[in-house]
Amino acid sequence: MAGIELLSDQGFRADGRRPHELRKIRCRMGVFRQADGSAYIEQGNTKVLATVYGPHEITGGRSKALHDKVLLNCQYSMATFSTGERKTRPKGDRRSQEMSMNLRRTFQAAILTHLYPRSQIDIYVQVLQSDGGNYCACVNAATLAVIDAGIPMRDYVCACTSSLLEDTPVVDISYLEESVGSPEMVVALLPKSEQIVLFQQNSRLHVDNLEKVLDMGIKGCTDVYGILDQSVREHVTEVSNLMMST
Amino acid sequence: MAADFKTAQPVEYYRQFLKKDVRPDGRELGEIRSTIVNIGSISTAEGSALVKLGNTTVICGIKAELCTPTNDEPKKGFVVPNVDLPPLCSPRFRPGPPSEQAQVVSQFIADVLKDSKMVNHEDLCIAEGKIVWVLYCDMMCLDYDGNVIDACIISLLAALRNVALPSIEVDEETAKPKLTSSTSSTMTVQSLPVSTSFAIFDNSILIADPTNEEENLATGVVTVVTNECGELCALHKPGGSSLSESQIQECVKRSFSRGDEIRKLLDETFNSLDR
Repeated sequence: MAGIELLSDQGFRADGRRPHELRKIRCRMGVFRQADGSAYIEQGNTKVLATVYGPHEITGGRSKALHDKVLLNCQYSMATFSTGERKTRPKGDRRSQEMSMNLRRTFQAAILTHLYPRSQIDIYVQVLQSDGGNYCACVNAATLAVIDAGIPMRDYVCACTSSLLEDTPVVDISYLEESVGSPEMVVALLPKSEQIVLFQQNSRLHVDNLEKVLDMGIKGCTDVYGILDQSVREHVTEVSNLMMST
Repeated sequence: MAADFKTAQPVEYYRQFLKKDVRPDGRELGEIRSTIVNIGSISTAEGSALVKLGNTTVICGIKAELCTPTNDEPKKGFVVPNVDLPPLCSPRFRPGPPSEQAQVVSQFIADVLKDSKMVNHEDLCIAEGKIVWVLYCDMMCLDYDGNVIDACIISLLAALRNVALPSIEVDEETAKPKLTSSTSSTMTVQSLPVSTSFAIFDNSILIADPTNEEENLATGVVTVVTNECGELCALHKPGGSSLSESQIQECVKRSFSRGDEIRKLLDETFNSLDR
Protein backbone atom coordinates (compact mmCIF):
# COMPACT_ATOMS: atom_id res chain seq x y z
CA MET A 1 0.00 0.00 0.00
CA ALA A 2 1.30 3.41 -0.92
CA GLY A 3 1.53 6.21 1.59
CA ILE A 4 1.06 5.66 5.28
CA GLU A 5 1.22 2.29 6.95
CA LEU A 6 -1.88 2.07 9.15
CA LEU A 7 -0.82 -1.05 10.97
CA SER A 8 2.84 -1.93 11.29
CA ASP A 9 4.22 -5.49 11.26
CA GLN A 10 4.68 -5.24 15.01
CA GLY A 11 0.96 -4.49 15.36
CA PHE A 12 1.20 -0.78 16.09
CA ARG A 13 -1.05 1.84 14.51
CA ALA A 14 0.06 5.03 12.74
CA ASP A 15 -0.04 7.03 15.98
CA GLY A 16 1.76 4.34 17.97
CA ARG A 17 -1.28 2.83 19.66
CA ARG A 18 -2.07 -0.87 19.92
CA PRO A 19 -5.30 -2.03 18.22
CA HIS A 20 -7.34 -2.12 21.44
CA GLU A 21 -5.95 1.10 22.86
CA LEU A 22 -8.05 4.26 23.26
CA ARG A 23 -6.62 7.72 22.74
CA LYS A 24 -5.89 9.67 25.89
CA ILE A 25 -9.11 10.99 27.39
CA ARG A 26 -9.05 14.08 29.54
CA CYS A 27 -12.29 15.49 30.85
CA ARG A 28 -13.63 18.09 33.22
CA MET A 29 -17.11 18.71 34.52
CA GLY A 30 -18.68 21.97 35.60
CA VAL A 31 -16.51 24.23 33.48
CA PHE A 32 -19.03 27.07 33.02
CA ARG A 33 -21.20 29.10 35.33
CA GLN A 34 -24.06 30.13 33.04
CA ALA A 35 -25.13 26.62 32.11
CA ASP A 36 -26.93 24.20 34.41
CA GLY A 37 -24.46 21.53 33.44
CA SER A 38 -21.29 21.65 31.37
CA ALA A 39 -18.37 19.44 30.48
CA TYR A 40 -15.26 19.49 28.35
CA ILE A 41 -13.63 16.39 26.91
CA GLU A 42 -10.47 15.75 24.94
CA GLN A 43 -10.09 12.42 23.17
CA GLY A 44 -6.66 12.63 21.65
CA ASN A 45 -6.84 15.73 19.47
CA THR A 46 -10.63 15.85 19.34
CA LYS A 47 -11.89 18.54 21.70
CA VAL A 48 -15.56 18.91 22.52
CA LEU A 49 -17.56 21.13 24.82
CA ALA A 50 -21.09 20.32 25.98
CA THR A 51 -23.56 22.40 27.93
CA VAL A 52 -26.98 21.49 29.25
CA TYR A 53 -29.80 23.85 30.14
CA GLY A 54 -32.87 22.65 31.88
CA PRO A 55 -35.25 21.18 32.66
CA HIS A 56 -37.03 24.47 32.03
CA GLU A 57 -40.24 25.80 30.51
CA ILE A 58 -40.79 25.20 26.83
CA THR A 59 -39.30 28.03 24.81
CA GLY A 60 -40.87 29.34 21.63
CA GLY A 61 -44.34 27.89 21.34
CA ARG A 62 -46.17 25.89 23.94
CA SER A 63 -47.51 23.61 21.22
CA LYS A 64 -44.20 21.76 21.15
CA ALA A 65 -44.71 20.54 24.73
CA LEU A 66 -45.16 16.82 25.22
CA HIS A 67 -47.71 15.86 27.84
CA ASP A 68 -46.02 12.71 29.03
CA LYS A 69 -42.29 13.38 28.70
CA VAL A 70 -39.65 16.04 28.40
CA LEU A 71 -38.84 17.71 25.09
CA LEU A 72 -35.20 17.10 24.31
CA ASN A 73 -33.52 19.71 22.17
CA CYS A 74 -30.03 18.89 20.90
CA GLN A 75 -27.75 20.96 18.76
CA TYR A 76 -24.46 19.79 17.32
CA SER A 77 -22.14 22.34 15.83
CA MET A 78 -18.56 22.37 14.66
CA ALA A 79 -16.46 25.50 15.05
CA THR A 80 -15.29 27.00 11.74
CA PHE A 81 -11.70 26.52 12.87
CA SER A 82 -12.12 22.94 14.06
CA THR A 83 -11.11 21.20 10.84
CA GLY A 84 -8.21 21.41 8.41
CA GLU A 85 -10.37 23.17 5.84
CA ARG A 86 -12.43 26.05 7.20
CA LYS A 87 -16.05 25.06 7.69
CA THR A 88 -18.35 27.55 6.03
CA ARG A 89 -21.44 26.39 7.89
CA PRO A 90 -20.73 25.60 11.52
CA LYS A 91 -24.24 24.31 12.10
CA GLY A 92 -27.42 23.60 10.23
CA ASP A 93 -25.87 21.67 7.35
CA ARG A 94 -27.05 18.17 6.66
CA ARG A 95 -24.25 16.46 8.53
CA SER A 96 -24.80 18.46 11.73
CA GLN A 97 -28.57 17.99 11.48
CA GLU A 98 -28.02 14.25 11.34
CA MET A 99 -25.65 14.41 14.30
CA SER A 100 -28.16 16.51 16.28
CA MET A 101 -30.89 14.00 15.58
CA ASN A 102 -28.71 11.03 16.56
CA LEU A 103 -27.76 12.80 19.74
CA ARG A 104 -31.39 13.47 20.60
CA ARG A 105 -32.36 9.87 20.05
CA THR A 106 -29.41 8.58 22.02
CA PHE A 107 -30.25 10.71 25.03
CA GLN A 108 -33.94 10.03 24.80
CA ALA A 109 -33.04 6.43 25.52
CA ALA A 110 -30.90 7.31 28.51
CA ILE A 111 -32.55 10.25 30.27
CA LEU A 112 -35.60 9.46 32.44
CA THR A 113 -37.78 11.58 30.19
CA HIS A 114 -41.08 10.79 31.91
CA LEU A 115 -40.00 12.70 35.04
CA TYR A 116 -40.38 16.11 33.43
CA PRO A 117 -43.57 16.29 31.37
CA ARG A 118 -44.28 19.58 29.56
CA SER A 119 -40.68 20.74 30.08
CA GLN A 120 -37.61 21.06 27.94
CA ILE A 121 -33.95 20.11 28.22
CA ASP A 122 -31.38 21.64 25.88
CA ILE A 123 -28.13 19.86 25.09
CA TYR A 124 -25.65 21.88 23.07
CA VAL A 125 -22.41 20.34 21.89
CA GLN A 126 -19.63 22.24 20.22
CA VAL A 127 -16.68 20.61 18.48
CA LEU A 128 -13.68 22.90 18.97
CA GLN A 129 -11.11 20.71 17.29
CA SER A 130 -11.83 17.64 15.26
CA ASP A 131 -9.65 14.57 14.78
CA GLY A 132 -12.05 11.70 14.20
CA GLY A 133 -14.66 10.24 16.51
CA ASN A 134 -16.53 13.54 16.81
CA TYR A 135 -19.86 11.95 17.52
CA CYS A 136 -18.44 9.73 20.24
CA ALA A 137 -16.68 12.59 21.96
CA CYS A 138 -19.94 14.56 21.79
CA VAL A 139 -21.94 11.77 23.40
CA ASN A 140 -19.36 11.32 26.14
CA ALA A 141 -19.19 15.06 26.80
CA ALA A 142 -22.98 15.37 26.82
CA THR A 143 -23.24 12.48 29.31
CA LEU A 144 -20.93 14.31 31.70
CA ALA A 145 -22.82 17.56 31.20
CA VAL A 146 -26.19 15.90 31.87
CA ILE A 147 -24.76 14.35 35.05
CA ASP A 148 -23.38 17.74 36.04
CA ALA A 149 -26.84 19.25 35.56
CA GLY A 150 -28.22 16.64 37.94
CA ILE A 151 -30.69 15.19 35.45
CA PRO A 152 -31.50 11.56 36.27
CA MET A 153 -30.43 8.99 33.69
CA ARG A 154 -30.84 5.24 33.44
CA ASP A 155 -27.12 4.87 33.01
CA TYR A 156 -24.15 6.63 31.50
CA VAL A 157 -24.10 6.68 27.71
CA CYS A 158 -20.65 5.89 26.39
CA ALA A 159 -19.76 5.92 22.74
CA CYS A 160 -16.78 4.63 20.86
CA THR A 161 -15.78 3.95 17.26
CA SER A 162 -14.18 0.81 15.95
CA SER A 163 -12.90 -0.32 12.60
CA LEU A 164 -11.15 -3.10 10.76
CA LEU A 165 -7.62 -2.45 9.51
CA GLU A 166 -5.97 -5.27 7.60
CA ASP A 167 -8.17 -7.89 9.28
CA THR A 168 -7.42 -6.56 12.75
CA PRO A 169 -10.25 -4.90 14.67
CA VAL A 170 -9.14 -1.53 16.07
CA VAL A 171 -10.81 0.82 18.50
CA ASP A 172 -11.29 4.63 18.66
CA ILE A 173 -10.10 5.50 15.17
CA SER A 174 -8.49 8.85 14.39
CA TYR A 175 -9.21 11.13 11.44
CA LEU A 176 -6.35 9.56 9.50
CA GLU A 177 -7.77 6.08 9.91
CA GLU A 178 -11.28 7.37 9.19
CA SER A 179 -10.28 9.04 5.93
CA VAL A 180 -8.66 6.04 4.22
CA GLY A 181 -12.06 4.50 3.71
CA SER A 182 -11.93 1.71 6.23
CA PRO A 183 -15.30 0.73 7.70
CA GLU A 184 -16.31 2.90 10.64
CA MET A 185 -18.60 1.60 13.31
CA VAL A 186 -20.09 3.86 15.95
CA VAL A 187 -21.55 2.26 19.05
CA ALA A 188 -23.26 4.06 21.92
CA LEU A 189 -23.76 1.83 24.90
CA LEU A 190 -25.48 1.83 28.30
CA PRO A 191 -22.54 0.07 29.96
CA LYS A 192 -24.21 -1.46 33.05
CA SER A 193 -26.87 -3.31 31.10
CA GLU A 194 -24.71 -3.59 27.97
CA GLN A 195 -27.60 -2.31 25.87
CA ILE A 196 -26.77 -0.69 22.56
CA VAL A 197 -28.64 2.59 22.05
CA LEU A 198 -27.02 3.68 18.81
CA PHE A 199 -25.26 1.64 16.22
CA GLN A 200 -24.08 3.04 12.93
CA GLN A 201 -21.81 1.60 10.31
CA ASN A 202 -20.41 3.20 7.18
CA SER A 203 -18.51 1.69 4.30
CA ARG A 204 -18.40 -2.06 3.65
CA LEU A 205 -17.67 -4.76 6.16
CA HIS A 206 -17.95 -8.50 5.67
CA VAL A 207 -20.62 -9.97 7.89
CA ASP A 208 -18.17 -12.54 9.29
CA ASN A 209 -16.15 -9.64 10.74
CA LEU A 210 -19.15 -7.91 12.29
CA GLU A 211 -18.94 -9.70 15.59
CA LYS A 212 -15.30 -9.05 16.32
CA VAL A 213 -15.48 -5.38 15.28
CA LEU A 214 -18.62 -4.89 17.36
CA ASP A 215 -16.99 -6.62 20.32
CA MET A 216 -14.06 -4.25 19.98
CA GLY A 217 -16.45 -1.26 19.94
CA ILE A 218 -18.28 -2.48 23.02
CA LYS A 219 -15.00 -3.06 24.81
CA GLY A 220 -14.00 0.49 23.89
CA CYS A 221 -17.27 1.83 25.33
CA THR A 222 -16.72 -0.04 28.59
CA ASP A 223 -13.20 1.40 28.82
CA VAL A 224 -14.61 4.88 28.21
CA TYR A 225 -17.17 4.23 30.94
CA GLY A 226 -14.41 3.47 33.43
CA ILE A 227 -12.70 6.78 32.68
CA LEU A 228 -15.92 8.84 32.77
CA ASP A 229 -17.07 7.21 35.99
CA GLN A 230 -13.75 7.89 37.66
CA SER A 231 -13.82 11.54 36.63
CA VAL A 232 -17.41 11.95 37.88
CA ARG A 233 -16.45 10.45 41.23
CA GLU A 234 -13.40 12.70 41.50
CA HIS A 235 -15.51 15.75 40.62
CA VAL A 236 -18.19 14.93 43.16
CA THR A 237 -15.61 14.34 45.90
CA GLU A 238 -13.97 17.65 45.07
CA VAL A 239 -17.27 19.53 45.16
CA SER A 240 -18.45 17.92 48.38
CA ASN A 241 -15.11 18.69 50.05
CA LEU A 242 -15.50 22.30 49.01
CA MET A 243 -19.01 22.41 50.42
CA MET A 244 -17.86 20.80 53.63
CA SER A 245 -15.09 23.34 54.15
CA THR A 246 -17.34 26.37 53.77
CA MET B 1 -32.74 36.75 52.99
CA ALA B 2 -30.24 38.57 50.81
CA ALA B 3 -31.14 36.30 47.90
CA ASP B 4 -34.85 37.15 48.26
CA PHE B 5 -34.11 40.85 48.39
CA LYS B 6 -31.96 40.53 45.29
CA THR B 7 -34.69 38.75 43.33
CA ALA B 8 -37.45 41.11 44.42
CA GLN B 9 -35.61 44.40 44.07
CA PRO B 10 -32.40 43.92 42.11
CA VAL B 11 -31.81 47.63 41.52
CA GLU B 12 -32.26 48.56 45.18
CA TYR B 13 -29.98 45.65 46.08
CA TYR B 14 -27.23 47.08 43.90
CA ARG B 15 -27.79 50.60 45.23
CA GLN B 16 -27.15 49.43 48.79
CA PHE B 17 -23.78 48.07 47.71
CA LEU B 18 -22.81 50.97 45.47
CA LYS B 19 -23.51 53.42 48.32
CA LYS B 20 -20.51 51.88 50.04
CA ASP B 21 -18.43 51.98 46.82
CA VAL B 22 -18.34 48.23 46.45
CA ARG B 23 -20.11 45.72 44.19
CA PRO B 24 -21.91 42.53 45.24
CA ASP B 25 -19.03 40.40 43.94
CA GLY B 26 -16.58 42.30 46.15
CA ARG B 27 -15.03 44.44 43.44
CA GLU B 28 -14.49 48.17 43.65
CA LEU B 29 -16.27 50.30 41.05
CA GLY B 30 -13.26 50.61 38.74
CA GLU B 31 -11.95 47.10 39.30
CA ILE B 32 -11.79 44.64 36.42
CA ARG B 33 -12.20 40.90 36.84
CA SER B 34 -9.11 38.70 36.62
CA THR B 35 -8.07 37.96 33.06
CA ILE B 36 -6.59 34.70 31.84
CA VAL B 37 -5.13 34.15 28.37
CA ASN B 38 -4.27 30.82 26.80
CA ILE B 39 -2.59 30.82 23.40
CA GLY B 40 -2.44 28.20 20.67
CA SER B 41 -5.02 25.89 22.24
CA ILE B 42 -6.53 24.82 18.89
CA SER B 43 -4.03 23.08 16.66
CA THR B 44 -6.28 22.92 13.58
CA ALA B 45 -6.36 26.74 13.42
CA GLU B 46 -3.51 28.90 12.13
CA GLY B 47 -3.80 30.99 15.28
CA SER B 48 -5.96 30.68 18.36
CA ALA B 49 -6.48 32.05 21.84
CA LEU B 50 -8.80 31.46 24.74
CA VAL B 51 -9.60 34.39 27.01
CA LYS B 52 -11.37 34.32 30.35
CA LEU B 53 -12.54 37.56 31.87
CA GLY B 54 -13.97 36.44 35.17
CA ASN B 55 -16.53 33.91 34.03
CA THR B 56 -16.88 35.28 30.51
CA THR B 57 -15.03 32.94 28.15
CA VAL B 58 -14.26 33.63 24.50
CA ILE B 59 -12.29 31.47 22.11
CA CYS B 60 -10.87 32.91 18.90
CA GLY B 61 -9.65 30.71 16.08
CA ILE B 62 -8.11 32.06 12.90
CA LYS B 63 -8.16 30.10 9.66
CA ALA B 64 -6.17 31.31 6.66
CA GLU B 65 -7.29 30.76 3.08
CA LEU B 66 -6.09 31.88 -0.32
CA CYS B 67 -8.15 34.16 -2.54
CA THR B 68 -7.81 36.72 -5.29
CA PRO B 69 -7.57 40.39 -4.28
CA THR B 70 -9.89 43.10 -5.54
CA ASN B 71 -8.92 45.11 -8.61
CA ASP B 72 -8.82 48.34 -6.63
CA GLU B 73 -6.34 47.05 -4.09
CA PRO B 74 -4.33 44.26 -5.74
CA LYS B 75 -1.77 44.13 -2.92
CA LYS B 76 -4.10 43.87 0.02
CA GLY B 77 -5.28 40.75 1.78
CA PHE B 78 -8.39 40.47 3.92
CA VAL B 79 -9.17 40.02 7.57
CA VAL B 80 -12.74 38.94 8.28
CA PRO B 81 -13.79 39.00 11.93
CA ASN B 82 -16.98 37.32 13.09
CA VAL B 83 -18.47 37.01 16.56
CA ASP B 84 -20.72 34.12 17.42
CA LEU B 85 -22.92 34.12 20.51
CA PRO B 86 -24.31 30.57 20.37
CA PRO B 87 -27.17 29.35 22.60
CA LEU B 88 -24.51 27.26 24.34
CA CYS B 89 -23.08 30.27 26.17
CA SER B 90 -26.17 31.63 27.87
CA PRO B 91 -29.89 30.86 28.17
CA ARG B 92 -30.64 34.33 26.76
CA PHE B 93 -29.59 33.33 23.25
CA ARG B 94 -31.89 31.18 21.15
CA PRO B 95 -30.90 28.78 18.41
CA GLY B 96 -31.24 30.27 14.96
CA PRO B 97 -29.63 33.02 12.90
CA PRO B 98 -27.06 35.32 14.60
CA SER B 99 -28.68 37.56 17.19
CA GLU B 100 -28.77 41.33 16.89
CA GLN B 101 -26.15 41.64 19.61
CA ALA B 102 -23.77 39.23 17.85
CA GLN B 103 -24.02 41.25 14.65
CA VAL B 104 -23.46 44.57 16.44
CA VAL B 105 -20.37 43.21 18.23
CA SER B 106 -19.05 41.75 14.95
CA GLN B 107 -19.40 45.08 13.20
CA PHE B 108 -17.82 46.97 16.09
CA ILE B 109 -14.81 44.66 16.05
CA ALA B 110 -14.52 44.93 12.26
CA ASP B 111 -14.44 48.72 12.66
CA VAL B 112 -11.81 48.58 15.41
CA LEU B 113 -9.72 46.24 13.31
CA LYS B 114 -9.86 48.58 10.34
CA ASP B 115 -9.44 51.88 12.18
CA SER B 116 -6.64 50.83 14.49
CA LYS B 117 -4.69 49.27 11.57
CA MET B 118 -3.87 46.18 13.61
CA VAL B 119 -2.79 44.23 10.55
CA ASN B 120 -0.92 45.60 7.59
CA HIS B 121 -3.03 44.16 4.80
CA GLU B 122 -0.09 44.28 2.41
CA ASP B 123 1.68 41.69 4.60
CA LEU B 124 -0.99 39.26 3.47
CA CYS B 125 -0.05 39.59 -0.20
CA ILE B 126 1.52 36.57 -1.89
CA ALA B 127 1.49 37.64 -5.55
CA GLU B 128 0.25 41.08 -6.45
CA GLY B 129 -3.12 41.01 -8.16
CA LYS B 130 -3.22 37.20 -8.10
CA ILE B 131 -3.23 35.64 -4.67
CA VAL B 132 -3.56 37.02 -1.18
CA TRP B 133 -4.34 35.59 2.23
CA VAL B 134 -7.73 35.96 3.81
CA LEU B 135 -7.81 35.50 7.57
CA TYR B 136 -11.14 34.37 8.97
CA CYS B 137 -11.16 35.32 12.64
CA ASP B 138 -14.02 33.54 14.37
CA MET B 139 -14.65 34.50 17.96
CA MET B 140 -17.03 32.28 19.83
CA CYS B 141 -18.39 33.01 23.26
CA LEU B 142 -18.43 29.86 25.40
CA ASP B 143 -19.70 31.36 28.64
CA TYR B 144 -21.52 34.69 28.69
CA ASP B 145 -21.16 36.73 31.85
CA GLY B 146 -21.13 40.25 30.51
CA ASN B 147 -18.59 42.45 28.74
CA VAL B 148 -18.16 40.20 25.75
CA ILE B 149 -16.63 42.99 23.61
CA ASP B 150 -13.53 43.32 25.80
CA ALA B 151 -13.01 39.57 25.90
CA CYS B 152 -13.44 39.31 22.12
CA ILE B 153 -10.91 42.04 21.37
CA ILE B 154 -8.30 40.54 23.72
CA SER B 155 -8.82 37.09 22.18
CA LEU B 156 -8.56 38.51 18.66
CA LEU B 157 -5.37 40.34 19.53
CA ALA B 158 -3.80 37.27 21.12
CA ALA B 159 -4.88 34.97 18.27
CA LEU B 160 -3.56 37.35 15.59
CA ARG B 161 -0.18 37.47 17.31
CA ASN B 162 -0.24 33.67 17.37
CA VAL B 163 -0.93 33.28 13.62
CA ALA B 164 1.70 31.30 11.73
CA LEU B 165 1.30 31.30 7.95
CA PRO B 166 3.05 28.78 5.70
CA SER B 167 5.30 30.37 3.09
CA ILE B 168 3.77 30.18 -0.35
CA GLU B 169 4.97 31.21 -3.80
CA VAL B 170 3.29 31.28 -7.17
CA ASP B 171 4.69 28.86 -9.70
CA GLU B 172 5.74 30.82 -12.83
CA GLU B 173 4.69 28.17 -15.32
CA THR B 174 1.48 26.79 -13.94
CA ALA B 175 0.43 30.03 -12.17
CA LYS B 176 -0.62 27.92 -9.23
CA PRO B 177 0.37 28.48 -5.60
CA LYS B 178 2.86 26.06 -4.09
CA LEU B 179 4.40 25.56 -0.69
CA THR B 180 8.00 26.74 -0.69
CA SER B 181 9.06 25.47 2.71
CA SER B 182 7.38 23.84 5.63
CA THR B 183 8.50 26.58 8.00
CA SER B 184 5.84 29.08 8.77
CA SER B 185 6.25 32.75 9.52
CA THR B 186 4.52 34.55 12.33
CA MET B 187 2.58 37.66 11.56
CA THR B 188 3.43 41.09 12.88
CA VAL B 189 0.59 42.90 14.54
CA GLN B 190 1.19 46.61 14.06
CA SER B 191 -1.04 48.07 16.68
CA LEU B 192 -2.37 46.60 19.91
CA PRO B 193 -5.80 48.02 20.70
CA VAL B 194 -7.45 47.03 23.98
CA SER B 195 -10.99 47.93 24.89
CA THR B 196 -12.47 48.69 28.28
CA SER B 197 -16.21 48.75 28.85
CA PHE B 198 -18.15 50.56 31.53
CA ALA B 199 -21.75 50.35 32.57
CA ILE B 200 -23.66 53.38 33.78
CA PHE B 201 -25.77 52.65 36.83
CA ASP B 202 -28.62 54.94 37.93
CA ASN B 203 -27.66 57.49 35.25
CA SER B 204 -24.58 58.57 37.17
CA ILE B 205 -22.34 55.84 38.61
CA LEU B 206 -19.72 54.30 36.31
CA ILE B 207 -18.73 50.70 36.90
CA ALA B 208 -15.93 49.03 34.93
CA ASP B 209 -16.18 45.57 33.35
CA PRO B 210 -19.88 44.86 34.04
CA THR B 211 -21.10 41.30 34.60
CA ASN B 212 -24.20 39.96 32.89
CA GLU B 213 -26.34 41.02 35.86
CA GLU B 214 -24.90 44.52 35.89
CA GLU B 215 -25.39 44.87 32.13
CA ASN B 216 -29.06 44.01 32.52
CA LEU B 217 -29.57 46.66 35.23
CA ALA B 218 -27.42 49.32 33.58
CA THR B 219 -28.92 52.43 32.05
CA GLY B 220 -26.14 52.71 29.47
CA VAL B 221 -22.75 51.39 28.41
CA VAL B 222 -19.52 52.96 27.17
CA THR B 223 -16.66 51.18 25.41
CA VAL B 224 -13.29 52.86 24.98
CA VAL B 225 -10.58 51.35 22.78
CA THR B 226 -7.02 52.58 23.16
CA ASN B 227 -3.69 51.47 21.72
CA GLU B 228 -0.10 51.33 22.93
CA CYS B 229 0.85 54.76 21.48
CA GLY B 230 -1.59 56.59 23.70
CA GLU B 231 -4.10 56.97 20.88
CA LEU B 232 -7.84 56.56 21.13
CA CYS B 233 -9.01 54.02 18.53
CA ALA B 234 -12.73 53.98 19.20
CA LEU B 235 -15.23 55.32 21.66
CA HIS B 236 -18.62 53.70 21.51
CA LYS B 237 -21.53 54.96 23.56
CA PRO B 238 -24.76 53.68 22.07
CA GLY B 239 -27.33 56.01 23.62
CA GLY B 240 -28.54 55.34 27.13
CA SER B 241 -28.11 57.81 29.94
CA SER B 242 -25.97 60.84 29.30
CA LEU B 243 -22.52 61.41 30.73
CA SER B 244 -20.57 64.56 31.48
CA GLU B 245 -17.30 65.31 29.73
CA SER B 246 -15.30 64.67 32.88
CA GLN B 247 -16.86 61.23 33.23
CA ILE B 248 -15.87 60.37 29.67
CA GLN B 249 -12.34 61.59 30.44
CA GLU B 250 -12.29 59.33 33.46
CA CYS B 251 -13.26 56.34 31.29
CA VAL B 252 -10.54 57.15 28.79
CA LYS B 253 -7.95 57.42 31.56
CA ARG B 254 -8.98 54.09 33.05
CA SER B 255 -8.91 52.52 29.60
CA PHE B 256 -5.28 53.54 29.06
CA SER B 257 -4.13 51.96 32.30
CA ARG B 258 -6.17 48.82 31.53
CA GLY B 259 -4.65 48.67 28.02
CA ASP B 260 -1.13 48.70 29.47
CA GLU B 261 -2.04 45.90 31.88
CA ILE B 262 -3.40 43.70 29.09
CA ARG B 263 -0.48 44.35 26.74
CA LYS B 264 1.88 43.41 29.58
CA LEU B 265 -0.13 40.25 30.25
CA LEU B 266 0.00 39.28 26.57
CA ASP B 267 3.76 39.93 26.38
CA GLU B 268 4.30 37.76 29.43
CA THR B 269 2.16 34.99 27.96
CA PHE B 270 3.99 35.02 24.65
CA ASN B 271 7.38 35.10 26.38
CA SER B 272 6.49 32.09 28.51
CA LEU B 273 5.46 30.28 25.32
CA ASP B 274 8.78 30.92 23.56
CA ARG B 275 10.81 29.58 26.42
